[in-house]
Amino acid sequence: MKRRVFLKNTIATGAAVVAANAGLLTPTTVLADWNKDAFSAKSTGDALNSVFGSSATAASGDIKLKAPAIAENGAVTPVTVDATAMSGVESIAILASKNPVPLVCTYSFSGAALGYASTRIKMGETMNVIAVVKADGKLYQAEQEVKVTIGGCGG
Amino acid sequence: MSIKIRMRGKSKGGVAEVKALIKHPMESGVRMNKKTGKPFPAKFIDTVTVTVNGAAAVDSQWSGAVSANPYMAIKVNANSGDEVKLALTDNTGATGEASLKLK
Repeated sequence: MKRRVFLKNTIATGAAVVAANAGLLTPTTVLADWNKDAFSAKSTGDALNSVFGSSATAASGDIKLKAPAIAENGAVTPVTVDATAMSGVESIAILASKNPVPLVCTYSFSGAALGYASTRIKMGETMNVIAVVKADGKLYQAEQEVKVTIGGCGG
Repeated sequence: MSIKIRMRGKSKGGVAEVKALIKHPMESGVRMNKKTGKPFPAKFIDTVTVTVNGAAAVDSQWSGAVSANPYMAIKVNANSGDEVKLALTDNTGATGEASLKLK
């Protein structure tokens, strides 16, 4: 009986220690604050302005944007942005033009990272997926229309 | 409660593709609860950081428009045996962490 209690206690304290460690180990690098302005902007232009400080983009064939032509379920649209053919890629932003908040996600790269990001996004209706890549201080853009048969943002 | 993450990664010719599957509802705060007529409260992952051998590599910010149970894949210059670590936080303050030694 005592052995049971002992075991129970050690497991409980063990879990607590693990939790404490996890707390201590969380990001050692200082995180950039979540860009609230960009993520509440209602148009793609405004969103780009607050992410990159500019919305002037040039089309580029070096960005490989992979998204389905027809998404059966808009709630899970796979999107891949491959800018590894470009040099000096600093960051990538993925936007869905007609979503209530167009900006979906941003990735900024440093150190060992390559300009590549793959994710799955929600889309409410048929619209363009836009990938904006910042390379060597300039903005480049690629976009593709995705036809959505079932929206992914409603209840 | 920490957020559950499954990670996989393999290095090939000095470049590793690291994939992660995260268990999270990703509630945008826009979706309506038809029973109450009020939106479900927002709960989505907002920041994700990836480090390679302790050095920052990818710093990512998400909105609620990333799909539920998010999948993410990135590429890094790394060799097998290098340690890739992923840390994330959601807008309610919940955190999750996972690390992986590249194959």
